[in-house]
Amino acid sequence: MKRSLIHVIVFFTVFLTVINLYAQVNEKIWFDGFSRSYFSRDAIDKSKIDDTISANNTSNGYNILDLNTHVNPIDDIEIFSQIRIRNSFGSFFGSGTEINVRQLSAKGVINNKVRFSIGDLFLKQSKFTLYNYNEELFGYENDMLKHYRDIIHYENFYRENRWRSQGIQTDFSFEFDRFIRSIDFDFFVTRPRGSSQINESMYSSDLLLSGGSVISKINKSLTFSGNYINLFEVASSGTHNISLRNPVHDMMLTYNFSNDKNHFEQTLQTGFSKRFWLHSELENNLEDSISNYTEGMYFVLENNYFKKDSTLSLKVGYRYVDPDFRSAGAQSRRVDYTAKRNTIYPTYTNASISRPPSIFDLVSDEQLYNQDLSSILMGFNPIYSNILPYGDATPNRSGIYMSGKFRKKNKSFISKINAGFFNEVIGQGTLEKRNFILFKGAAKINFHRFLNWKKELSVHVSSESELTRRGGDAISSLSLYSHQINTSINAEMAKKFFLQASCKQLNANGNEFLTERNNYGNITYFTSTQIDQKDYLLSFGMLYKFRDNVYANLHYNWWGVKFTDQIYSDYKFNRLLLILSVEL
Amino acid sequence: MKIKTKLIILLGLIFFIHSCTENEFEGPSIENLYGDFEINEQLKIINKNPIFSNNEVVSFHCEFNKPVQWKISIRGLTSSASREITDFSNRIDSNMIFWSGGPSQVPFFTEEVCAIELTFENEIDTLRDTINIVSKKTYENGVWFEDFEDGFPNNGLIYYNTDGGGMTFSVANDNALLGNNYFEMGGRVNWDWPLGNIDLPVNISTTSQNSDNLYINIGILSDLFDLHTGQFINILISEETNTPFNDNLDNNSSDLFESNMEVYKMKVPVDWDGWQLKSFRYSDFEPVSPNNLDINHSMNPSDIKAIRISCQACPSSPGNPICPENFGKEVRTDIDHIIFTLNSALLDQ
Repeated sequence: MKRSLIHVIVFFTVFLTVINLYAQVNEKIWFDGFSRSYFSRDAIDKSKIDDTISANNTSNGYNILDLNTHVNPIDDIEIFSQIRIRNSFGSFFGSGTEINVRQLSAKGVINNKVRFSIGDLFLKQSKFTLYNYNEELFGYENDMLKHYRDIIHYENFYRENRWRSQGIQTDFSFEFDRFIRSIDFDFFVTRPRGSSQINESMYSSDLLLSGGSVISKINKSLTFSGNYINLFEVASSGTHNISLRNPVHDMMLTYNFSNDKNHFEQTLQTGFSKRFWLHSELENNLEDSISNYTEGMYFVLENNYFKKDSTLSLKVGYRYVDPDFRSAGAQSRRVDYTAKRNTIYPTYTNASISRPPSIFDLVSDEQLYNQDLSSILMGFNPIYSNILPYGDATPNRSGIYMSGKFRKKNKSFISKINAGFFNEVIGQGTLEKRNFILFKGAAKINFHRFLNWKKELSVHVSSESELTRRGGDAISSLSLYSHQINTSINAEMAKKFFLQASCKQLNANGNEFLTERNNYGNITYFTSTQIDQKDYLLSFGMLYKFRDNVYANLHYNWWGVKFTDQIYSDYKFNRLLLILSVEL
Repeated sequence: MKIKTKLIILLGLIFFIHSCTENEFEGPSIENLYGDFEINEQLKIINKNPIFSNNEVVSFHCEFNKPVQWKISIRGLTSSASREITDFSNRIDSNMIFWSGGPSQVPFFTEEVCAIELTFENEIDTLRDTINIVSKKTYENGVWFEDFEDGFPNNGLIYYNTDGGGMTFSVANDNALLGNNYFEMGGRVNWDWPLGNIDLPVNISTTSQNSDNLYINIGILSDLFDLHTGQFINILISEETNTPFNDNLDNNSSDLFESNMEVYKMKVPVDWDGWQLKSFRYSDFEPVSPNNLDINHSMNPSDIKAIRISCQACPSSPGNPICPENFGKEVRTDIDHIIFTLNSALLDQ
């Protein structure tokens, strides 16, 4: 009897504990995450290249699991961690398996009034203070290459044009019943780069980013917003007595009005920046001084029109950005041509020359991308982006721009265009100024919607052109034209099973001067460059969508570059790619 | 606000911004960078009869129409000593570009006539002139030096592998870098790396400079006759403060270079003909035992207690064939004038 009683007590104790734990899992801890299996096999076509050094083909692959743990110890606080388990193909019994903490943060609400976040933050302000602009070739691309883009964005923490940083953020708002309707505040302090040892006795300084935003809805139609950001170094945290200061001020007025079917929005935005290096803690008690001081302003006037049924939107604007406007938060680029190298066949030919990046590398290689803010203007490749390499915040630009989107109500036809006419505010290396013409257009036809088919059949076409010209004498004049076309077809052969094909080609022809800058961002030299190249990327493959965000993809890519009268040799490669992507 | 008023304000703003545009350009002039090269101001030499012993300098001035890679070559017509000064600019500024009488490498200049040449990369223009050195530059001995002029120091130690062939670990006087004497280090030890070394006690405890500002300069002599391609010198510097220089009298080496002591090293491959004066910043030396956590590796020049100059070469005998192509070849890494200088290398003074 006694024994039976003990069994019953033990059974109920264990059973109730399990129930309690299960309840905790449900209420206080929950999980989600992401998993990806990736395998690629790249091969070089040696019939086109004099190369006996490079391997004929290479294969790479990995499995990753990003496990997100959300812990809610109390209702108003959530602690989040993302643990990555990565196993490269070819590793064996744990060798080659990495486990990393990829993200860690805590967020909550104090007294139902003030929100806060600590740890990994994803920050965005206005397009001139803190904004992670999309990389080149993005935006008018076909769906077939979307999985490559998704990987690049996921691996580099690119979310909604935000920069990832570690620090603390808080926001709160007030509502009023007279004079103004509401006012919202947001403040943050982050450390994009910590102090690090350069050599035995030298340490770099901490780099901090602080900022704040105020958004006030004055009345139903009028909204005012102001942003401030400052990227600065703390000289005392390192051994350098020279520290960066880059404050940027921004304000914007938005006026909205609408009727039953249409909505209009007018925006007036302006601001200014300063950038200098502070020399402090000088020997012999000398007073602090500054060097390389620059200041610049910008001005934007923009008009937007939307049809309320979302079938049409138009935008027309004028933008002026000073040559000396500098904003590290808005002018840091995603693609870093100077510090990064191609992952696939970084060198080629028997001379082992560095292989210049092609559109395929930009589309597929996440290692070419940057996650750090840069205090000076980063280099860019004029072939892929010469007009607005730093997005709307590109300095030394003045001009008008317009864009539009149109779609049929049943989404059988979707199109968008984007055009701009800019010129430099002052010349570079000459009094003559560059003139720029930008035109991009894309259209997608969903035949299945036209024909009322259940299975999808769609064709996508896009074209992007950039023309840069500068007059003047024979030495300084230039003309560069680049044109990119994309076509793709997507056909659902069986339920959730698609066949896909796409062609992407870029032609660039002309001449340009590449700017070289010193450590303080001042132009030191212009390298004359002749350009005549053709990049291409052909793809064919199949896709099986288990459901949204869960798919398996098998592709074959033919890609390469043809150079005419260039120092580089043509190259041609093939890739077989398999991706299984699961969002948990 | 009426649309007409808005339009007027907008046009006014655009006109205002447009009129603010400065009539200038960013960066250097492209016309200058890519136009024909021209010399705007001829080469001027200030002080053509320098007395370098009085710390006089010779200054140069010249101006061109665009930035170019230029080179000033100074060659002693008697000593064959030479000095080169190079830069990339459109101006040779006499306030910044000057010569204080030292060579780029030994031999040293003497009282002699020197030919001056100014050349430009990718341009055919060459500007020539001469100067006459009235009194040659004199060098100070630094915070510590050894020139072997009084023979091998009494408190120093010499060790070499006595089983080797043609071992030359002794003071010689036939081909010194400066003065009369130098120290020969060479021979043949085909089966092992070390041939031998000399250890010298050092005391620079009054030095307050940090390791970035201490330079170790040493003259090294070799030849290319049947060169041993794997020969090198290892310079070891000890900051061991608790052990006497020669604690164990049974060996011919100092006891300050053990693996559990704070010792730093610099490896110098030797593959040239004749004398060369090499200079090394102390902070560029590496710890000998970096993984020994019991050693506090914090370089402090005032704690330097000894220096070891070690002659080594990769073994070549069939029993240990690391570089068999060097079998039977003589190693030669003779040395002279070991000088510790502060703030700059000897030839940069």
